[in-house]
Amino acid sequence: MTAIDSRPTSSPAEVQGVGSGRRGSVRSVVVGTMLTLLLLPFVPLVLASLADGYFYPQVVPERWSTRAWAIVLDPDGRTWAALRDTVGIAVVVMIVSLVVAVPAGRVLGTRRFRGKRVIELLLLSPVLVPTIAVALGIHVVFLRLGLAGGVAGVVLVHLIPATPYVVLLSAGVFANAELELEAQARALGASWWQARRHVTLRLIAPGLAVAALFGFLISWGQYVLTLVIGGGRVVTLPILLFATASGGDAAVTAATALFHGLPAIVLLVATTRVLGGAGLATFGGAR
Amino acid sequence: MHTRIRGAIPLLLLALVSTACGAADATGDVTREGSSIDPGDWEDVLAAADGTTLDLYMWGGSAEINRFVDEVYGPRLSGFGITLNRVPLADTADAVNAVLAELEAGRTSGGAVDLIWINGENFATMRQADALLSGWAEQLPNAALVDWTDPAIAFDAGRPVDGAESPWGSAQFQFVYDTARTDPTQLPRSYAELADWIVDNPGRFTYPAPPAFHGTRFVKQWFYELAGGPDPWVDGFDEDAYVQAAAPLWDLLDDLRPHLWRGGETYPNDIADLDRLFANGEVDLTFTQLPAGIGANVDAGTLPPTARPFVFDTGAIADHHYLAIPVNAGDPAAAMVFADLVLEPELQAAKLDPANGWGDGLAIAIDRLDDGQATTLDTIVRGLGDTAVDQDRLAEVRLPDSLGEHTQALEHDWNRFIRQRRPRS
Repeated sequence: MTAIDSRPTSSPAEVQGVGSGRRGSVRSVVVGTMLTLLLLPFVPLVLASLADGYFYPQVVPERWSTRAWAIVLDPDGRTWAALRDTVGIAVVVMIVSLVVAVPAGRVLGTRRFRGKRVIELLLLSPVLVPTIAVALGIHVVFLRLGLAGGVAGVVLVHLIPATPYVVLLSAGVFANAELELEAQARALGASWWQARRHVTLRLIAPGLAVAALFGFLISWGQYVLTLVIGGGRVVTLPILLFATASGGDAAVTAATALFHGLPAIVLLVATTRVLGGAGLATFGGAR
Repeated sequence: MHTRIRGAIPLLLLALVSTACGAADATGDVTREGSSIDPGDWEDVLAAADGTTLDLYMWGGSAEINRFVDEVYGPRLSGFGITLNRVPLADTADAVNAVLAELEAGRTSGGAVDLIWINGENFATMRQADALLSGWAEQLPNAALVDWTDPAIAFDAGRPVDGAESPWGSAQFQFVYDTARTDPTQLPRSYAELADWIVDNPGRFTYPAPPAFHGTRFVKQWFYELAGGPDPWVDGFDEDAYVQAAAPLWDLLDDLRPHLWRGGETYPNDIADLDRLFANGEVDLTFTQLPAGIGANVDAGTLPPTARPFVFDTGAIADHHYLAIPVNAGDPAAAMVFADLVLEPELQAAKLDPANGWGDGLAIAIDRLDDGQATTLDTIVRGLGDTAVDQDRLAEVRLPDSLGEHTQALEHDWNRFIRQRRPRS
């Protein structure tokens, strides 16, 4: 006797409920697996960050300590200033790259024109060329311009890897948006601005949110570019993390890594929940 | 549709330019007067330093040392009106490169780096590039507490210091074993004994790959033992003599390779990696450079509580680490105030005490202190306990560092003969 057979006879409404529940359970298994795979690597980090001497062959630390977290979360420590700078830089990078990406993405996603492939290739070039090779050259230029060693220079240099991603994602969003609805709105008497605001923006908002998130996270994770252009003066969380990791204090390194990793994960999970897959579904090749 | 594209590009440029303008404003106040500060007129230095921010570039791998710098020196600097900005580095060479890049780009004043925690090769690199202020260190008020006649202070890796860096502390190479695993009577007490020990304990020993600091030190001491002690190698560089003297070392290291951890196929990157292997029981020995011992490492949990340091009877290289000011430092006065501050006897004492997180050796001479200060130091030394080697013992086995040319040659040859050469047929 199967589990289904044992259910009492259901009303049509309940049957429908069971059906969607089954689809829901498949979905939650998939989402659950993905979240597990995403979060599992953090388990050893959590253990290490709370351990007082975590050595082989201990599977779980024998002695616990909040020493590492006390150092990382110390109100007078460097972490909070680094968090502020990392968030600030990432938000500006996200906004600037979006400002570039929305018009550029619309054209690249919806129009066909001569040289489009070349432009797409050019857009990808910062992603293809090794960052460090570019960074050292840019550093000399930025030093001459007085941009090295400051937050503004770091923002500018983060835009190099961030903008192409955001533009290409944005192109995908526009390619899959039903932009014909714009014309329909205009035909029904909406002004150019009203059509953009009430129709286009609604269509592209979820996809753009994901593109923006990419821009944010690319800036969030930069180490080499920040180190070279910031010259050590701009201390973001990755800079702190690498300096800590070079010392071999596993507990403090783990706590710093979690401090750096968790906001990104939270943001990612939150965005996925808000979008409910709608945002991801808007991606695909350009038409 | 072409107009759309053209529309997007100016937008991009506009965005870039507007951020660039913001940047120019932000860096405008950083540029200040050149480095014409005279440490002989200390009142003048203090006045120039008041209200500045000290950008101290230092290796940031030890949370305890970082905390010590922020919490012990930070408030004292505030007393002089100086804000401490400790820039954490994964590698001191990053600071060296930052300064050299600035100089290359024509930025001869108002540079980002005010002070670097430095010694050895990084110091040599910066001196060769003429990138350090010189002649200031011996003029600091507290330089009177430093024994500048001691060649271990006046020479950094065989290179005259010339007042281009001021000592911060001292270090001495020691081995570390675990009493829970190794019987102290079985420990090697010389490199000759270590060679036998490695063969008897296959896979239980390795060392950081030179040019990692501790790895180079380890190899250099072995070289000393095989090549007639440090004396021939401290002054001039005679390539033929060096090559001849080093040959037995490369033969021996090559022969021992299969008995090392992972058959000598790979080596730890640095001392942090070796400490991790040691703490996880993969190897039985690690190293430390802290004269006051490994108490801080044990407190931090990076070494097990049963770990103990020891030295070979055949000697242990001792040296100093320093603070240096780039020629284009934005705030050289603040840098001098810091270099002077760290020599204060009470702060040298605090740094020596592992309970404060460090356990670093002294940069000042005890016989130049008053009785009260000397007693404080003595009390700390007596309280060091099992996690430190007896200080008299350390003094007994103290060896000088070699000339920098020998260090570079050893690093270069190790890479050629040991790391790159495939196992002999």
